[in-house]
Amino acid sequence: MEWNYLTTVEEMEADAKKLREMGLLSGAETWEDRKQNQTPQCKFGEEGICCRICSMGPCRITPKAPRGICGADAHAIAGRNYLRFIAGGTAAHSDHGREICHTMNATERDGHYQIHDEQKLLKLAKEWGVETEGKDIYDIAHETAHVGLMEYGKPFGTLNFLKRAPEERQKLWDDLGIAPRAVDREIATAMHMTHMGNSAEAKALVTQGLRTGLADGWGGSMIGTEFSDILFGTPMPKDTEANLGVLEKDMVNIVIHGHDPAMSEMIVLASEDKDLLEYARTKGAKGINIAGLCCTANEMAMRHGVRMAGNFLQQENALLTGVVEMIAVDVQCIFPALGPLSECFHTKFITTSAIAQIPGSIYVKFEAKKAREQGRELVRMAIDNFENRDPNKIFIPKNKQTATVGYSCEAIKKQLDTVTNSHLDELDTYKPLIDCIKSGVIRGAVAIVGCNNPKVRPDYSHIEIMKKLIANDIVIVASGCSAQAAAKAGLLSKEAKEICGAGLKRVCELADIPPILHMGSCVDISRMMLLATGIAKDWGIDIPQVPVVGCAPEWMSEKAVSIANYVVATGIDTYLGIEPQVKGSSQMMELITEGTRKMVGAGYIINKDPEDLVNAMIAGIEAKRDALGI
Amino acid sequence: MGLFDRVFRGSDEMYALAEKSVDETIKQLGSDAPVAFPNTAYFLACIYAYTGLKVTNLGELKAALTPIREMMTKEKRTQDIFTSGIATAMAAEAIEACKYAVSPTPYEEPYHGHMSDAEVRELGVPLVTQDIPGFVVMIGPAPSDEEAAKTIKSYQSKGIFVFLIGGIIDQAVRMGLNLGFPVRVVPVGPDLWSVGHVISLVVRAAMIFGNIQPNCYKEMNEYTFKRIFAFVNAYAPVDDMTVACGAGAIAMGFPVITNDTEDMWRVPKSLLIQENTEDFIETSLEARDIKIKVTDIDIPVSFSTAFEGEIIRRGNMRLEIDGSRKDCFELSRMRDAADVEDHKIELIGKDFDEFEPGSKICCGIIVEVAGKNMQTDFEPVLERKFHNYLNCAEGIMHTGQRDLIRIRVSNDAFDAGFRARHLGEILYAKVKNEYANIVDKCQVKIYTDPDEVKELRAEANKVYDYRDDRLLSLTDESVDVFYTCILCQSFSPSHVCIVTPERLGLCGAVSWLDAKATNELDPNGPCQVVTKKQVIDENLGAYADVNEAVMKYSQGALERVTLYSIMQDPMTSCGCFECICGIEPFSNGVIIVNREHTGMTPLGMTFSEMASMTGGGVQTPGFMGHGKHFISSKKFMKAEGGVQRIVWMPKALKDTVADKLNATAKELYGIDNFVDMIGDETIAEDPETLLNFLGEVGHPALGLDPMM
Repeated sequence: MEWNYLTTVEEMEADAKKLREMGLLSGAETWEDRKQNQTPQCKFGEEGICCRICSMGPCRITPKAPRGICGADAHAIAGRNYLRFIAGGTAAHSDHGREICHTMNATERDGHYQIHDEQKLLKLAKEWGVETEGKDIYDIAHETAHVGLMEYGKPFGTLNFLKRAPEERQKLWDDLGIAPRAVDREIATAMHMTHMGNSAEAKALVTQGLRTGLADGWGGSMIGTEFSDILFGTPMPKDTEANLGVLEKDMVNIVIHGHDPAMSEMIVLASEDKDLLEYARTKGAKGINIAGLCCTANEMAMRHGVRMAGNFLQQENALLTGVVEMIAVDVQCIFPALGPLSECFHTKFITTSAIAQIPGSIYVKFEAKKAREQGRELVRMAIDNFENRDPNKIFIPKNKQTATVGYSCEAIKKQLDTVTNSHLDELDTYKPLIDCIKSGVIRGAVAIVGCNNPKVRPDYSHIEIMKKLIANDIVIVASGCSAQAAAKAGLLSKEAKEICGAGLKRVCELADIPPILHMGSCVDISRMMLLATGIAKDWGIDIPQVPVVGCAPEWMSEKAVSIANYVVATGIDTYLGIEPQVKGSSQMMELITEGTRKMVGAGYIINKDPEDLVNAMIAGIEAKRDALGI
Repeated sequence: MGLFDRVFRGSDEMYALAEKSVDETIKQLGSDAPVAFPNTAYFLACIYAYTGLKVTNLGELKAALTPIREMMTKEKRTQDIFTSGIATAMAAEAIEACKYAVSPTPYEEPYHGHMSDAEVRELGVPLVTQDIPGFVVMIGPAPSDEEAAKTIKSYQSKGIFVFLIGGIIDQAVRMGLNLGFPVRVVPVGPDLWSVGHVISLVVRAAMIFGNIQPNCYKEMNEYTFKRIFAFVNAYAPVDDMTVACGAGAIAMGFPVITNDTEDMWRVPKSLLIQENTEDFIETSLEARDIKIKVTDIDIPVSFSTAFEGEIIRRGNMRLEIDGSRKDCFELSRMRDAADVEDHKIELIGKDFDEFEPGSKICCGIIVEVAGKNMQTDFEPVLERKFHNYLNCAEGIMHTGQRDLIRIRVSNDAFDAGFRARHLGEILYAKVKNEYANIVDKCQVKIYTDPDEVKELRAEANKVYDYRDDRLLSLTDESVDVFYTCILCQSFSPSHVCIVTPERLGLCGAVSWLDAKATNELDPNGPCQVVTKKQVIDENLGAYADVNEAVMKYSQGALERVTLYSIMQDPMTSCGCFECICGIEPFSNGVIIVNREHTGMTPLGMTFSEMASMTGGGVQTPGFMGHGKHFISSKKFMKAEGGVQRIVWMPKALKDTVADKLNATAKELYGIDNFVDMIGDETIAEDPETLLNFLGEVGHPALGLDPMM
């Protein structure tokens, strides 16, 4: 029997269209309306050659005006804008990581937050030289959190996690002067360098971009991931479902949205409290249904199996169903549009972080010492709102898919252990995967990450690229909104092996994995760096030699550019389906594609056509194989 | 050189050899010359399975080379090495087919060559019971003769079915190993291309038991991957053609384990490099996820189902327990727990070493068991297994049952220290192990004192008589429930047997009492209770309860079966049936053929060809697989008039069932010596001659209504 249960992009678009039509009746508008209003978009902004850094400007570069008032040319302006973009992304990821450090610092044995993975904590404490012998685990947690917090502002030295990288990489970063110092320092340096009257040299700006990116991937993000695992548990494979079909008509629906799992953990816990379930029943609901959006969904799915309503451009659709009692958000990627949109329905829009305060929301500042009660309060508020639903505004699309998620590096190794032979192999390595790649059964691996972007057909690039890669025996690791696109389509299901090439299909069957491994949220791309490092070390080669590449086909945020920079600096070619906004500078275009390759062995390959992009990836992987003689 | 390049080069080489063989054979015999393997209904099975082509002559074989070539694609993808690998096995089969075109018996001792459909079907039951937990194909010479022998014997002792290809056969012969299908070590052929016969066996198993249709590449490989536990041991040096065959094996799900490190590439669970050949066995079993059931038995010889088929000739015999000349018997009895001392083995009389070599001796064996769930009805269930248990000991041969047993002990076994009490050790260990839920305690008494055995034999006969009366009283009408048997579903996923007192499982291995005991042993296991409260048609044996059970346990593949009709919703079969019956339209009758009969039948089809009409859980009105004992059942195609429809059977089968069948015919129709009215191969192998014979003897079928 052929497996043909993929949900197509056309089906997803039909659902979105129906929801928009329903929304019109409620006076709602969506990104599609606003995108229309914003077209055509500013060409100078698009090409990165509008400078608004001082109030002499704004200055725009044209053939007739090749320099700004201060004399900055297109390369300086595009370079500065680019670096500021990276700094914004690094700041966002790293501040998220820092918040998690603070949450860990607030853990208590009987407190609102506790340690769930003691082994991982002990391992990290040892790595960082925190004394563990004879100490209470919570004392260790607090001390380790302090060390983590110091990574953001320590006056001397470089980041601790850099030592995890292959030695060749560490040396290269030192030689190039891009080994990042404290996380805040690199962000500050980036902001300083781009202040009026400082760096105008494109190469210097790009170089600092790599360093700032590394401060994210091997600093703030990695801290966020490690500490989240210690706090909430290291992800292991879990079955879940994805797409709007996970919203339940007869239940209280609470949608959690954003990136930082601390607040959502409390809402998920509260939704399982017996008294609240009972309370929901008294209000005529059959239960409490938690569904996630964006990376909060990824975090909650991979640790609790919480179902995923969708990715970035689905956030308004969730509300348009008319059955969402509450959307509670933390930080990043939250449309301000949710304010007015929630007013078209009964939905309560709750903001919880000082970082993301949005008009039209109820602001409930989440605090680690009160979190458990706050979680319960929010759930109760949602339950109270159940009766306010307008039955005329309800439409829940049927589409949903099963998905297996939660492949941390630890989980991947555990899964690989199942295909080892105790008479031949050692456990807890990536060698089984490496053997598959060396023999050619699997051609290579691609990390597909990133957002949705209305500049291209949403989800289409993600899904088409993934389908073609797995058909060519290329295994995929995915995170963030890309992973959710895969989940909605059905590509995170183990059944998706049926549309793989024979080699990848067999590997999926033997190792009992889906062909696309969900590694988590966007901060979890740090996991992918460790995965690439582990493969390179177990193989005995440097990262750029490994037939592994990265891809962000629909990226849009500053975080994505920060990620792209640390991925490239780590030695992994990165294929982009959206052009970075530097096109107005030939030097910058050269620097981000070929220039970095000369420095760190990897760069961007940019192509707006997904078919061309995936073919380039396959060719890139085969070229790396040829170079290795495999 | 990369793995993929080696596969592609090897497949090209094998193809070139195939093309050469076919061309040369055509030159010698002409395109119209027939080409076939003996005793199979599946043509050249590899080619048939993967292309659907029914090759019958050399011209067609030549034409079949084209699709084989087309499967040898060369993109750098696993799909391409998989199809190339399988095409390599097909090319190998083409080479082998040419040999059979030239001579019907191209292989001489020790080589076995092609395996018949009957041999494939024989594997059904042991595969289900996991008496054969897997298959190994050993290619090439092992590092030494001694190691070859040791490895083969070790596989054998674990029940693994061994196929030998190439130099390892010479090694086995030099080491004096006992080879052949019955002892489950098959020396297939001297050249690599004889591997085509092994793949042929595998794909036929898939078509027979799994109902996999020809030309279904994906389904075929999925079946073999999930249900056939085979693997390959390829000794260094491994050439490109072997690598190509290995790719085919891996495509089918069979890992390859080799000690060759030159240009070899590891692939987890698929291609394993084990430099220490002495670790081949453990490495291989783990790679294919085969777990060996270990029964620790305190005896001085090996114990494995592989030795079940071993024959001990008079010349190699130390002594014989001979029920045809002496007082002998075996008996199982239920006792009170207080009267059984667990693991007590008692010898009353002389031991084996106290008899002259070559003696025929008296012997009585009584196995006494106690258990909360034990019932007297289970005594014969246990007792019938003694035959299998004792036979598994190397150097011990057991035949017959009750007081007609014959047990031979070989010189080798005796020299190894095998004595009378070891018979008890075997029976104790196996009964306790396999009937753990029923048997709490077990003790064995072995009598060799002639006077005592004579006395006890008379006692035993009373028990046998009692049981026979009990069995006679067990009819489909007298019991409240039937049982399902879905043991076969491990490889025939949509087949369900309904076992009734008067209709045992079609494999012949599961009677109603067996099913009852199995249900007792494992209440969630393969034998589930089926009530018979909702009668639809008593004559047809149609029950709503039965239909529900069949629907449920076939996962919806089957909606209805009748118990007593072969025309209307006949019961399905997995493929391992002992006999097949099919309608013979000219006489309004049916013919029955047993698996062992290789000759032609008046239907113009051999057993293999008839058997291929059904099996794999498929209903084919007019054809039905069944057990030998069902032939004399009063319920045998009762809906169509019963046993009086039987018009032809092979002579050997007639002889086996004659007494009981005559009794049934006498009881049902008042006919004396009914079996004499049934044709056989000495009387007719075509319908006209058969019809004349039936007319002469006045066979009752001629007067019945047509079945169609």
